[in-house]
Amino acid sequence: MRLPRVFGKKRGHRRTGSQIWGTVGDAAFHAALLLAGIVFGGLLVSGVAVPEWRINHDYLPARCTVVGKRIERRVADRLPGAWHAALLLRYETDGTVREAWAWPEPAAGAGDRDQAVRRLAAWPLGDEVPGWYDPAAPGTVVLQRGYNWWMWLLALLLPGALIAFGGAGLLRAARRWGKSEEHRAASAGLPELLDPLAQRPRASQGHPTVPCCDDLVNSPGTILRYRLPIESPENWTLLGFGLFALLWNAVLTVLAVQAGIDLLGGRRDWLLFALLLPFAIVGIAGIAVFIRGIILASAVGTTQVEIADHPLRPGGSYGLMLAQAGSGEFRELSLSLELEERATFRQGTDTRSERVVVWRQPIRVWQDVELSPGTRFEAHATVRVPPTAMHSFASEHNSVRWMLVVHGTPTRWPAFQRVFPLVVFPPAAEAAEVMR
Amino acid sequence: MNSMHGAMLPPEFASDTRPGNPFATRYTRPGAIPPLDRHGIPLDVAALASRFEAVTAAAIEGPHGHGKSTLLCALAATLHAVGRPVTIVQIRDWHDACTACIAIVTAPRRTAVFVDGWERLGLLAGPMRLVARMLRRRLLITSHRPAGLPVLWTCATTPALLRAIVARVPDHGGVVNEMDIDAAFQRHGGNIRETLSDLYDTIERRSRLPSTALPS
Amino acid sequence: MTRSPDGRPSPVVSLQFDRVDRRYEPGAPLTARYRVEGLGDEPIEAVEHSVLWYTEGKGEEDLGVHFFARVEGEAARPGDGTITFHTRLPASPLSYEGVIVKVRWCARVRIFFRAARDFVSEHVFEVGRLPPARLVTAEAP
Repeated sequence: MRLPRVFGKKRGHRRTGSQIWGTVGDAAFHAALLLAGIVFGGLLVSGVAVPEWRINHDYLPARCTVVGKRIERRVADRLPGAWHAALLLRYETDGTVREAWAWPEPAAGAGDRDQAVRRLAAWPLGDEVPGWYDPAAPGTVVLQRGYNWWMWLLALLLPGALIAFGGAGLLRAARRWGKSEEHRAASAGLPELLDPLAQRPRASQGHPTVPCCDDLVNSPGTILRYRLPIESPENWTLLGFGLFALLWNAVLTVLAVQAGIDLLGGRRDWLLFALLLPFAIVGIAGIAVFIRGIILASAVGTTQVEIADHPLRPGGSYGLMLAQAGSGEFRELSLSLELEERATFRQGTDTRSERVVVWRQPIRVWQDVELSPGTRFEAHATVRVPPTAMHSFASEHNSVRWMLVVHGTPTRWPAFQRVFPLVVFPPAAEAAEVMR
Repeated sequence: MNSMHGAMLPPEFASDTRPGNPFATRYTRPGAIPPLDRHGIPLDVAALASRFEAVTAAAIEGPHGHGKSTLLCALAATLHAVGRPVTIVQIRDWHDACTACIAIVTAPRRTAVFVDGWERLGLLAGPMRLVARMLRRRLLITSHRPAGLPVLWTCATTPALLRAIVARVPDHGGVVNEMDIDAAFQRHGGNIRETLSDLYDTIERRSRLPSTALPS
Repeated sequence: MTRSPDGRPSPVVSLQFDRVDRRYEPGAPLTARYRVEGLGDEPIEAVEHSVLWYTEGKGEEDLGVHFFARVEGEAARPGDGTITFHTRLPASPLSYEGVIVKVRWCARVRIFFRAARDFVSEHVFEVGRLPPARLVTAEAP
């Protein structure tokens, strides 16, 4: 059965599902966020930031005498224990003697009532203390200046986030409004603005959608020109197991110590004891898995692949050098070239990825390889990229990837696979002409 | 990631090219095929939209891959077409959960808030429902399990529904038959999404000749 | 005159490429001309034509626009004549018939009507001469 013909009869009309989503609700939502941020920010600035700034810049100094004391609960602070000390101060402004109440520790509550009364003793009656008064309202006096940076941060953080989120969303909605998907994609910088967190791969110069290979050619080889980086999920898995074992056993230790303290104190918390056993089993298993992973990683040893040139072109032949470290015997060590397609898709609220190897070419296979500690197995090979090979391709949700795959079967350990990505460019113009 | 939209009718589309695989996502994603009932008959989305207008909150329930997102999108488009703005949030991670909270709190009065994947909110679901009720926010959710809201529609799938969906994708030239469709439906326990993905793979397997392979 | 699924008259876009087989090499010039029929008297807001690649398959659809032009207002109404546009294709991506990822090139004409509806006509062409991918392992050389 043949592939469907690409060009055929018109298939009629339909609605597609990949088209524009309008922005009416979107714009209104972000406008509301922006407005909320501005209003909230305005309230915080006028209620917190501006008064604090005025205290530090506009208020004038005065010598104050303590002529009265009391404790109080402020209206905004009617919490149990939130008592404050307050001092009645006498001071002079422009020849006028005034009296006003001030709070020596305005930011903190004094705790309970007795604590507040004890704190008042720090300011005996008749004491002189430095103060600052508001020239615009001389009846207002403060005993402390300076900036409470935490308050500024909090005052700006939430409204700032609302303004940033709302403003950016409104800008996106405005720029997207009425634009087709082609227009949005064609507008410089707009895709990045519309979805700033999307992972757009970097492309090679002059070759749109061909991944940039700078990261693949920044490591010189010892024998051939480049050493290829390894794409090794097993390292991340090992790290993950290690972190899990560490955290889990830390929690287990805390629980065990608590249980021990309880037991020594004559208390028996049966629930805690019951939890300890399964926790301990999981903790020990976690450590065992992690140690096994470490042993496997060190027993099998590192794999390195070097290549004579990079990036690759269809029809080209390239020298390779494989180096495998470790100890013991390998039943088989093989090197192959693979082409893999990857697609990421949304299934409702799930995001899933699918990978399919669509082409595989064995390059070399070595049987019964003997490795000694401190030495490594080295072998040379040649990889030929088929003349009609698809180039490497990467877009936001889809990719076509070339890679060298080393597959090893040690005698005493589980088989392993290590992947070394490659970038294949489209054929050069002259080569394309020859092929035609 | 934030996934805020208001819905519009997708454009009318014509092509002079036969699609490569009729089960590709561009032909099967929510919005490409109208929502159908268990018998494969198009749902009266306008009637459902009117029912939703009569309540402040409702839920579309059903297991994975049974068409909840498709119905949600169709309802959003229908409401938008009659001048009722809609904000949709798809819950995939904690960012979206925050977005949903913000949407419920700050959405303009006439805007309905649609949340796809309500069950993913976990412990947040209860407080958000309470806030939505206090603010009289018009809320429509999709959920795999009962969410304590009046049920607007329960999505259920049948082989008849799947056959109706297959009839609506671009012509596959007879590469798959009814037996293939029914077998795929059984394999995936009625999950339409997985079934369509399976049929995609079937088309690809059957459509490739060894002679057209990449040469060695 | 054809009708859309909602019963309204649908335009018909007839687009021809300068290559009859619609096969182009990367970096080659491309010329396309199109005619729009069946617009009727419905007022149009704008017409866009573009040359782009898109992905098709199991993943979310990605697209990259190589050439784009938009004409606003009634000046966009093509009238009785044809509209021609030219561009030089880039070096990549090539058209690719993969298993779960396919890369297609096309020319699109999009007509925006005042009544908040739009119509898209897509015309696929090929860049490069790659054979389709398959799922089996190739024989060792």
